[in-house]
Amino acid sequence: MRAGRSLYFLTVLGVALGVASVVCIQIINRNSLAAFRGGIQAVSGDADCTILSRTPALSETLYPKVLGTPGVAAAWPLCRLDVALSDTGGVFLEILGVDFFAPVRMPWEGERGEDWEALAQRGWVAVGPKLAEEMGWLVGDRFEVSIGSRRVQLVVGALVDFQRLTPFASSKLAVMDISQVQSLLAQPGEIDQIDIRLHPDANLSEVVADLQGRLGPSVRILTPEQRESAASDLLEAFRLNLTALSLISLFVGLFLVYSSTQALLVRRRAEFGVLRSLGATRAQLLGLILREVLFIGMLGVVLGIPMGYWAAQANLEVVSATLSNLYLLEEIESLEIPFWLYVLAGTIGIGGAVAGALIPALDMSRRQIRALLMPPVLHQRVASLALPLFLGGALILVLSGAWYKLYGWNWKPSGFVLGIAVLLALPLSTPLFVREITASVRARRFGLGYSLKSLGARLQTTSFAVASLAVAVSMLMGITLMIGSFRRTVEVWVSGTVKADIYVSTSSFRGRGIQATLDDRFVSSLSNLSGIRAVDRLRKLEVYSGDREIYLAGVDMSLMGGEARFPLLHGDPLQAWPLLRQGKAVLIGETLAHKANLEVGDRLVVSAPAGEVRFPIVGVYYDYSPGKGLAVVDFEALGQHFGPGSAHSLALYLQAPEETDRVVDQLKLLYAETPLRFRSNRNLRQQVLKIFDQTFAITRLLQAMCLLIAVCGIALTLLILARERISELALYRALGALRWQIFWVFVGKGLGIGLLGLALGLLGGVALAAILIFVINRAYFGWTIQVYWPWAALIQQTATILGAALLASLYPALRATQSPATLLSRDDV
Amino acid sequence: MVESVLSFRGVSKIYDSGVGIRYALREVSFDLSPGQRVAVEGRSGSGKSTLLHLAAGIDLPSRGEVWSEGRNLASLSERDRALLRRKGVGLVFQFFYLLSHLSVAENVGLPELVAGSRPSQFASRVQALLERVDLGDRAGDPIHQLSGGEMQRVAICRALLRRPRLLLADEPTGNLDDENSQQVLQLMLSLAEEEGSSLIYATHSRELASLADQRWQLHSGIMGPV
Repeated sequence: MRAGRSLYFLTVLGVALGVASVVCIQIINRNSLAAFRGGIQAVSGDADCTILSRTPALSETLYPKVLGTPGVAAAWPLCRLDVALSDTGGVFLEILGVDFFAPVRMPWEGERGEDWEALAQRGWVAVGPKLAEEMGWLVGDRFEVSIGSRRVQLVVGALVDFQRLTPFASSKLAVMDISQVQSLLAQPGEIDQIDIRLHPDANLSEVVADLQGRLGPSVRILTPEQRESAASDLLEAFRLNLTALSLISLFVGLFLVYSSTQALLVRRRAEFGVLRSLGATRAQLLGLILREVLFIGMLGVVLGIPMGYWAAQANLEVVSATLSNLYLLEEIESLEIPFWLYVLAGTIGIGGAVAGALIPALDMSRRQIRALLMPPVLHQRVASLALPLFLGGALILVLSGAWYKLYGWNWKPSGFVLGIAVLLALPLSTPLFVREITASVRARRFGLGYSLKSLGARLQTTSFAVASLAVAVSMLMGITLMIGSFRRTVEVWVSGTVKADIYVSTSSFRGRGIQATLDDRFVSSLSNLSGIRAVDRLRKLEVYSGDREIYLAGVDMSLMGGEARFPLLHGDPLQAWPLLRQGKAVLIGETLAHKANLEVGDRLVVSAPAGEVRFPIVGVYYDYSPGKGLAVVDFEALGQHFGPGSAHSLALYLQAPEETDRVVDQLKLLYAETPLRFRSNRNLRQQVLKIFDQTFAITRLLQAMCLLIAVCGIALTLLILARERISELALYRALGALRWQIFWVFVGKGLGIGLLGLALGLLGGVALAAILIFVINRAYFGWTIQVYWPWAALIQQTATILGAALLASLYPALRATQSPATLLSRDDV
Repeated sequence: MVESVLSFRGVSKIYDSGVGIRYALREVSFDLSPGQRVAVEGRSGSGKSTLLHLAAGIDLPSRGEVWSEGRNLASLSERDRALLRRKGVGLVFQFFYLLSHLSVAENVGLPELVAGSRPSQFASRVQALLERVDLGDRAGDPIHQLSGGEMQRVAICRALLRRPRLLLADEPTGNLDDENSQQVLQLMLSLAEEEGSSLIYATHSRELASLADQRWQLHSGIMGPV
């Protein structure tokens, strides 16, 4: 093993990076749901089920009915309130309103003591010790929060360690008396949920059916598992896409294992020949080889797990922001590696290494002793297999394409099958591609052209490096093309739909902040300010359409020129807008249309306090939000069906739009005492794109890891070439080539591999981008993404890949220059 | 007096294997005149390859001096020795060392390519040499389509491409059958004469050695006349 330290090192690194990619993503995937589960556990403890409303709020009059249901051992009502901590730049607190005097045991009952009585006093709240420490609070300290456009003073009444109950509970959870929360919300008699614990001998499904009958269709009764499953469905695409990308990294890592095993075995073929001639069996030889590979795999796993954990930790903030910004789930605060993930890492690392090495190992163990003791003929064999391999790749593409057209088009994960077909076809077409390109090159100097041509001499070694790079590049370019197209589409969409000059929302509004409303007096005072041409209001509710939770928003449909806010993908604007202005119809976002399989002409059925409302759908508009989906009706119509309510945000249209920045400054001064956010049109657009970029940060990490593995592959290949082609190097030296010439020939080989991988990878990347945009995205998100070529990003990545190839070739090139001319050996050149 | 193409002055080459030293060459001295063709005879391990490596400046002597074109090779940097080899030394090897990714003509043209010339500058010279060895119509063929004798003829063309003053051949027929050996060696001797190159070739065959102007014997690193 000492003889090939560099090869072993690069192979172990390749396996480790592959394992790290998978581990990182699995940690993130698991902990994103664990955070949600932790939230449920911290709030509901060991509740057997939870009653939630299909309408925006639940009446507390249902509570006695619940307690009176046979099989219910205990029940407790809860209110939930999102508030923003003042002067913290966006730290949110989720306040739970609980009934401290209810004759039931709370999940945190172990913490209850005499001091809890004090929490019934105005403004008293129990917070977690971690948050208290971060904020420098002691029991008795006062702090200010904002709820909508109001500021409220709270007092730290007690410290409750929710994270001791469940380690994934948010540190920003707080507990308050339920009546105080209702008072803060100005919603007396309304609660958000009722948690239920059953008698040990009660049958869950029977009790649920009984409760559903007693409480009527306006409520949903869910077990904690069903609630987690709903979150899991919401994150399905996010988690699946990341898993797929991490597996590509592992796939690229396998190429490295294959190449290095092949190279190491070829170098030791004489040793194996001698062993066989001394009586070693084929099985013994295979065992010997696989034991070494097993060791490489184990080392890769040992390195990969901490690397994966570190990568997950480093990206915790951006992933957490994505979860809370886009999917409105809990932020991830801590990471945990469960035991099964160690098992998974071990399986994929060791299994992957063995799988990568199996073919060369079997090949070597099956050879005749005489063949082992002769120079290798492997490369000629690959050269002759180039065409059949290419045809095999083409066949995979044709068959998968035909399958998709005939059967797969309506199967959700079919895009991944197409992606796998592309990723298999790429390596299979590589030998022919490399052979034909290198054969067609005419070397006019002892430089890059010569280097490129010489790559054809060791087709097997070169093909593996080119293939692994091509797979990495196709992933890199495919995703870049998809993200670039998506970003540009969103930019165009935002510039078309974000038409107001100034946007106003409360500091505590963050998507889920349904309670974060604007005071009506503030809205009317703002509307009367000079210089304001028009004010558009937005009110957003969480409602149910069947069993599907969606957002229903109300906007001023009569706003002059307001049609531009909702560019229609389907539907006739001339017919739609008169109905919308009259409050008789609804527009639905593309995401909702896709998820609920709705189209123009259908009716959107939503649960309202007075019963179901059936809105005719008159249009489907372009919508790029992930998650539950959004429908829009007229502001007044929303009030008619769901009761009057305040707006959550405002859009201001100025008489002099060029004065926007000045007016924003004026408004900030004028309403300095109100916890509001004033954002100019430009500012809001920038923020949208910032969130967009944040969402894909983890994807970029995976791209980088995959590229790093492929770059290791280039270095590995060149090291193999520097060893295998020692006679060729000696020949150049004998013919009078200087060391720097050998150096540049080798650097040229690295660049050549980079160029070949780039060319193939670009083809694969375009194919993958098309699959991502037109198949996977449509199936999982339902967005219409226009194709744009992000030239700047593509050029930058091309330069990065070639730069990486250059860097990867420096050390092997240096090693190659050390080959003396006296090393002309018997091996063929 | 005509200046020697190559001179060895008391040259010894010693290898230290860690457990003791071994003389590959011991106190070897000779002068090679312009146009002179010498065969070095000796059994395997007698020091023939070492002598040729030292003559080409690929390796340096442990003791003594090797002079080529009036310059003591030990006084030259590695770079200068490579340039000297590029300009004035042609090498032929037992195992041909033709590159499989290059065609016949490209293999012949390789020394010029290494020297920085463009193919258009040496294409006619390559073609002339190939025609001289009856391979004019095989210029574009891949190497693996040639027979052993043809491969060695291509290797000889490559060695003579830059009209070297010194042609060194290490067992040039060691990988060929008897009939091919005779033909190839005759061709190499004729070409060396035509091109005005001095020639040293190593062989263990007395019959082939007898074709040279002069024969030297190497035995355990010690040189003497046959």
